[in-house]
Amino acid sequence: MNELEVKKSLKEFFCNNLGIEADALEYDTPLFSDGIGLDSIDSLEIIAFVDSTYGVSMTGVGKEPFYNIDSIAAYIVSHS
Amino acid sequence: MTRDDKRCVITGLGMICAIGNNVDECWANALHSTSGIAHTKTVDTVDCYTDYAAEVRCADLDAPHTKEMDRVSKLCIKATAEAMADAGLKSFDGNPRCSVIIGSCVGGVVSIEKYYTEAKKPEYIKQMPISAIASQVAGATGAGGVVTNVANACAAGTISIAYASDLIRNGKADIVVAGGADAFASVPYAGFISLHALASDPCSPFNHSSGLTLGEGSGIVIVESYEHAKARGAKMYCEVLGSGISSDAHHITAPRPDGEGQMSAIRRALRNSGVNESDIGYVNAHGTGTSKNDEAEFLSLHTIFDGKNKNLSVSSTKAMTGHCLGAAGAIEAVFAIKALTQNTIPPTVGYSDEDIKALADKAGDMDFCPNKPHAKQLNTVMSNSFAFGGNNASIVFGKDNGDVRVQESKPNVYVTGIGAVTPLGNGVPRYLEACANGEKIEGQSARSSVSSCDYDAVGLKMAFYRKLDRFSQLQAVSGMQALINAEYAVTADNAADIGIIVGTSEGALGPGCDFEIQIADRGNAAGSAFKFPNTVYNAAGGYLSICSGIKGYNVTVTNGAQSGLFSIAYAADVIRSGEEKAMLASGTDENSDIMDELYRGLGLVAGEQVLPYAFNSQAFALSDGSVSVMLESDESATARNAKKYCRIAGTGSAHSGVQFGTLIGSEKALDIAITDAVKDAGLALGDIDAVIGFANGHKAIDRIELDSYGRVFGAAAQRIPVISVKERMGEGRASAAALAVAHGALILHGDIKTETSAFVIGKDGKAARKAISCDGLKNILVTSFGAGGSYCAVILTKD
Repeated sequence: MNELEVKKSLKEFFCNNLGIEADALEYDTPLFSDGIGLDSIDSLEIIAFVDSTYGVSMTGVGKEPFYNIDSIAAYIVSHS
Repeated sequence: MTRDDKRCVITGLGMICAIGNNVDECWANALHSTSGIAHTKTVDTVDCYTDYAAEVRCADLDAPHTKEMDRVSKLCIKATAEAMADAGLKSFDGNPRCSVIIGSCVGGVVSIEKYYTEAKKPEYIKQMPISAIASQVAGATGAGGVVTNVANACAAGTISIAYASDLIRNGKADIVVAGGADAFASVPYAGFISLHALASDPCSPFNHSSGLTLGEGSGIVIVESYEHAKARGAKMYCEVLGSGISSDAHHITAPRPDGEGQMSAIRRALRNSGVNESDIGYVNAHGTGTSKNDEAEFLSLHTIFDGKNKNLSVSSTKAMTGHCLGAAGAIEAVFAIKALTQNTIPPTVGYSDEDIKALADKAGDMDFCPNKPHAKQLNTVMSNSFAFGGNNASIVFGKDNGDVRVQESKPNVYVTGIGAVTPLGNGVPRYLEACANGEKIEGQSARSSVSSCDYDAVGLKMAFYRKLDRFSQLQAVSGMQALINAEYAVTADNAADIGIIVGTSEGALGPGCDFEIQIADRGNAAGSAFKFPNTVYNAAGGYLSICSGIKGYNVTVTNGAQSGLFSIAYAADVIRSGEEKAMLASGTDENSDIMDELYRGLGLVAGEQVLPYAFNSQAFALSDGSVSVMLESDESATARNAKKYCRIAGTGSAHSGVQFGTLIGSEKALDIAITDAVKDAGLALGDIDAVIGFANGHKAIDRIELDSYGRVFGAAAQRIPVISVKERMGEGRASAAALAVAHGALILHGDIKTETSAFVIGKDGKAARKAISCDGLKNILVTSFGAGGSYCAVILTKD
C-alpha cells in the first residue's frame, strides 16, 4: 500500500465528508485542534471510512493515531 | 395562588406506544413492569450491532380517513381521538379558540423511506414534512386556531405542552390538543446506530447506561383553560403549572456534562410554577440510558434536589417504552399525570439485585423506583426532556393550582436587528441595494449561498461551520447577522435573557432524505454519524445557540411557508409573557437538489417566469434563504439605546382544515388571522396603511390572498397597497415570510423610501402594479399561509 496514496485519499475524505476546506488541511495539520476541530462524531466517521476502505479497524485505538493525516496513514499502512 | 383566569388544566389523555394502544393499557402494563422492547423485524438490521426497538403493535391503526397519511400521523390521530373522547369533546367545528400543537423529531420518515425504496410518488412527498402532522390532527378535530408543530427533537413533546399552556395563559386559546408523535423507521435507527448511541441490550437508564433503545408512539393531552373546563363541566385530571425551556449552547448531540442547561430548564419550571424543590414528589426523568445523558441528569437532579428534598422519587419509563423521540415528552407527561392522579410511581425496569446495590451509591436520597411501582401520595410532579441541539424542557403538573408566574403588564416588543441571507446576496446593505436596483432572482429555482466572507463577517470559524448542513449554515449566518445588526453582545450575564425561535417549512427534510438515500443504498449499518445530527429540524437552532452563546428559550416551529412569520409572532409572545427580554426569530428554508426534486415532483416549480398576481400559473419560483429578526422588550432596547426599526403591534393565527398540501377552501381562516391581529394591536381595520402579502404566482394562492383582503377591508382594500417580497426573491417559504417582516421594518424605519414591488387591487379583483412612496406608512400588515389551511398575520407599527 502506497502511504502517499492513502494520505491523498484521507484528505479527499475529510474535505468531501467532514466539511473541511482543502487549503486549511495539510498532512501534518493537527486534526483535533481548534483550527479543524474534529470531535468524537468525526472520529466515528473516520473509523468507518478506514474500516470500509482499507479493512483496518481503528476502534478503541486511543487518540495518538488520529493526530493528523500522517499518523492515520501510518497506522493504516502498518496494520494492513 | 394562580388566579382562575390563568389556570390551565388537563382534561383528556391519549397514548399509544410499545406497551399499549391506549392510556389504560399503557398504565396497566407500566404497573406490571412490562417492557415493550423486542427484536425488530420492520427494518434492515444486517451488520447492525443491535436489533432492539420498542414498536407499536396495533391492528386498527389504519382508519379510512388516515389511509393516505404517514405512520406518524396515524399514531398521533389515534392518541388524539382517545384524548378527545376522554375529555368529552367532539369536533371543534373550526373554532379559532381551539388549537393543535404537536411535537415531532423525524416526522413523516416512513414516507421518506417509501419514496426512496418503493416509488417516487407525489403522495409520499406530501407526507414527508413534520408540518403535515398538526395539520392533519387539526383536520381530524376541526381545530381552527393556532396549528403548529414543534420540531425540537427529543424535547418536542414537552415543549408542545408548555407552549399550549402559554398560549392559553396569553389569552390566545381555550383548548389545545398538545403532545407529540414519532414513528420507528430506518432513518432514526441507522442514525443512532451510526452514533453508537443505541444500547446492545434493552436500554437500562440510570443503571448500565450503555445506550438508548428507540421506541415509537404518540402521547396527547387536552390542555384547557380552567374556566373553560369548569364552564362545560369537564373532568379535570390536574393543573398544568409552569414550564422551563433552555439551550445548552454546547454541542449538537451531547448534553453539557455540567448539567447547566438542564438545571436552567428545571429551575425555570419551578420558578414559573411558584413551587419549590421540596414540593416535587416525582420526576419522570429524561433517562435515555446513554452514559452522557444519565451522568449529566444524575448531576442535575442531585445538584437541584439534594438537601432540599429528601423524599423525591425519579423514574425513567423509557426502559419500558423505549425512547419515542418527539413523542417521548408527551408520553412521559401522560405517565407523570397518571402517577400524580393515581398516587403511584411507575418503575424504572431492568435492575438485577447487583444493579440495585450499585444504584444506592448513585441515587443518594433519591428513589429511582427500580423494577416495581409503588404507592406514594403525590401532589406535584415534574417531567423533563433533553434533546439534540442542546434543547432542554421541564414541565410541572399539580393537584393544586400553584402560584404560576404571570406577567401582568405586557411589554412592547420592537424589531432591533435584521439578518438576511437571500439568493440576491447577504446582509441588510446588500438587500437594500437589491431592492433599490429592482433586482430579481434569475430562473425558477434559486438558491442562496454563504461564503467564507460571510462567515468571517459574523466571526464563525471553519472548525464550527464545517459541521453544519446547508440549512443550518444559512440559519447561523442570518442569526449572527441579526445580533450584529442589533449591536447586541451575548455575554455570560445576559445569555439566558435571550432566546431563539426558528420557523421552517421543510426544515431538515433535505438532510433527512440525503441520509435515507445513503442507507437505502448501503444498508442501515452504513449511516453517517456526521450527517445524522443534521437530520433533526432543530439542529439549525441548536447550532445558532452554540455559535452565539444564547442559552434561553429555544424552539423550532414548522407549519408551512408561514413558519417564518409565525416564529416572529411566537417570539413576540415569549417576550410579552416576560420569559425573555430578547428573542432571535427566524424563517429559514433551503433549496437543494433534493428539495428541487420534491417540489418538482409535486408540480410546483414553474417552467417559465411567474409573477405574483398574474393569475396565469399553478406553480412558483422555488427559492430559499434565512432571515432573522432581533426582537426586544421596550425596556431592553431602550436601556441599551438600540435602534428600533418598528414595533410588533399585534399577531393573529388561524386554521381552516383542508387536505394537507392544499389550500383552497380554507380562505376564512386568513380573514380571522387578519382581524385577530388588528384587534391584538388595538387598531381598527382602517388603520392599516399597507400589506406585505404572500402571493407567489400560484394563482390559487394569490386568489385566496386578494379575495380575503376584499372581504376583510371591503372597498378600502382598493386603497391599501399590497407589497410583494416574493416577486424579487421567489417562494423562499419560511425565509420569505420572515423577509416580509424585515422588509416592513426597513420601510417603517425609513430605509426603503419607494416601493416598486407594490400592487393595488382594482374593482375587478385584479392587482395592478403601482410604485408607492413609503413616506407616511405607519401600520403594515404582514400575512402568510401554510399548506393545509393555516394562516398568520402580524402588524408592524411605526411609533
